[in-house]
Amino acid sequence: MTVYVERMLLFLLFLVGFWGILAKKNIIKKIFSLNLITSAVVVLFILEGSRVGDHAPILSDGIERVVDPVPQALMLTAIVISVCITAFALALAFHLYKTTGSFDIDDIRKRAQDES
Amino acid sequence: MNPDDIVFAPVILPLFGAALALFSKAFLKGRPAVFLEYAGVLLGLGLPWLAFLQTAPMAFAGNTFQGIIGGWHPAIGISYSYDGLTWLVNILIFSIGIAAWLYSVGAGPKGPVFSTVFLIQIATLAMTITTTDLFNLFVCLEVMGITSYVLIAFSGKPGASLASFSYLMVSATAMVFFLLGFYGLYRLTGAISYLGIVQGLQGLADFGGITANISLVMIVAAILVRVAIMPLHNWLPDAHALAPHAVSAMLSGVLIKVPLFALLRILITIPQGMRIGEVLGYTGALTALFGVVLALSQRDAKRLLAYSSISQIGYVVSAWGMALQVGMETNLGIILMASAFLHAFYHALFKALLFLSIGTTIDRTGVRDVLVRRGSIAILRLQGERIPVTFLCFLCGALAIAAIPPFNGFASKTLLAHALKGNLHYLLLGVASAGTVASYIKLSRIYWPRAKDAEAIDAMVASEPFHRIHWTIHASQSFLAIVCLIGGMAITTIFPLVVRAVGAPGEGLEPSVSLYSVDNLIQTLVITLGGGLLYLLASSKPGCRILYLLRRQRHTFQGLFVSFAVVCAVLSVLI
Repeated sequence: MTVYVERMLLFLLFLVGFWGILAKKNIIKKIFSLNLITSAVVVLFILEGSRVGDHAPILSDGIERVVDPVPQALMLTAIVISVCITAFALALAFHLYKTTGSFDIDDIRKRAQDES
Repeated sequence: MNPDDIVFAPVILPLFGAALALFSKAFLKGRPAVFLEYAGVLLGLGLPWLAFLQTAPMAFAGNTFQGIIGGWHPAIGISYSYDGLTWLVNILIFSIGIAAWLYSVGAGPKGPVFSTVFLIQIATLAMTITTTDLFNLFVCLEVMGITSYVLIAFSGKPGASLASFSYLMVSATAMVFFLLGFYGLYRLTGAISYLGIVQGLQGLADFGGITANISLVMIVAAILVRVAIMPLHNWLPDAHALAPHAVSAMLSGVLIKVPLFALLRILITIPQGMRIGEVLGYTGALTALFGVVLALSQRDAKRLLAYSSISQIGYVVSAWGMALQVGMETNLGIILMASAFLHAFYHALFKALLFLSIGTTIDRTGVRDVLVRRGSIAILRLQGERIPVTFLCFLCGALAIAAIPPFNGFASKTLLAHALKGNLHYLLLGVASAGTVASYIKLSRIYWPRAKDAEAIDAMVASEPFHRIHWTIHASQSFLAIVCLIGGMAITTIFPLVVRAVGAPGEGLEPSVSLYSVDNLIQTLVITLGGGLLYLLASSKPGCRILYLLRRQRHTFQGLFVSFAVVCAVLSVLI
């Protein structure tokens, strides 16, 4: 039962992020939302790996029923990538703000078009 | 040297070169810095060719190097496969890479940071096509994405930054869906390599049923965003049109094709692949047609080229999908895939050439609008180009993409037409070819001379100081133009080689190439005349009105995600 509740919550988190990416005009909020959906999927993976056991995956004598270590390793990579993307997206947002004076995507588009 | 080590040369060497370039930026100044940067580029872009020479015999003999990086256990290691297809795609990546980098030295953006990011991109492209591990593919696609966002925004103009930002949001979101799809497959099979996933799926009832299908569809749709097939193409025109010219050449030439052939590796093994191939085949043909209509409607020279790239990738996808549909073990499948690759390769060559020569022209004339005629040849001549090299290079590229013999586009399009004959695709692509001719007649207007402008040109050139066109710009353009010409002339040698690299042909398959038959020439003539007629129609009053309405279409995030959802839904229903 708890598994379903957890999944539903993650699904909600994902939807909130997705809505933010689509509906928010502010580019910083868009970047936040991108992080939300990535986090939702990362936690989903970890949750999936944790279903098979309840111990940390240190493979030595006396420890049994360890969680699946593969999703954890993979998600670590996914988090690193997500950090890179966020960093670059924020740099771009800052640059756009400096050149156009706005965080609003429609404003930025208008001013970029005026300039070209 | 051990052949298993050599297959990683195209990945390791560019990374090493990138490290050298970054080192030169961080610790050196002046001449030594430039020297070290160029040494890094030579190492990264030049040395892998030795590896290609060494592995060429095995690629054409149909051998495959397979293994796991670092000798790890198959359940957790990253598996790779280096075969004929990998070899061919590597050639595509590195030949365009060299031309684009050389151009960037003359026209910018240059410098150690650019070289570093560029080399990292080359390395990821080579890895994307070598890997057979789904999570590694995710990492490669993400790093490839990050490098391309950086390169697009390199000019620092707000338009370019915005294009880069939109591309980032779209493709990063699509990659989250990729991860979700991967989650589904991992839950079902517990494997991360393609082979493990396929074996896992085969052990399940109905190959994993609806869960497997939906997971697979998400992965395919996420990769298709990178390939920019319609209706997932919205991000491409801005990104490709506003990037620096050398980067545009790389993006249009290489970055939209490598994910497609990486996707092939998944679909070729998975049971649902055949059905997905069939659907994508039709989508490709429609993309070719609609892409060219949109290209014809554009006034911005680089945007026209960008839409034309969407159209041409449609050609590749239609043959590619058809090959998956008939099965890669059949002779027809191999011929179709070989033609698809050849068109992808040749398109990379002539589209890079077009982006570079148009780029030089619009830099020098300051005009991007093809309808504002400025007699570009005259301006370039006044700026020191005695022989109109840039115009001649543009002409080579335009004739190639319009499939006029003896250029390479004629060869690859005729081969595609032969392989697809008797299908709906054939008809759609035929109409699209006429549209291509029309849109390149429109683009060539930028060079048309006009006597009235002569004085204005003289005044403009006299008022603005100019520097001579750097020799590397001419060298890179001429290199691509010559390769385009050779690729068309030597098709009888090249095509059988590509066929052998793509698959081991069965009995009775002798890829015969008779390009210059009367039928083909008549067909080319009809398409060219049709294209001319279409151009006249498009420049008439009602034609202009329709094209204006098409051009006014706005691209939004929301639109792209709606398309993404539609593509996922349609694919899920159809497979």
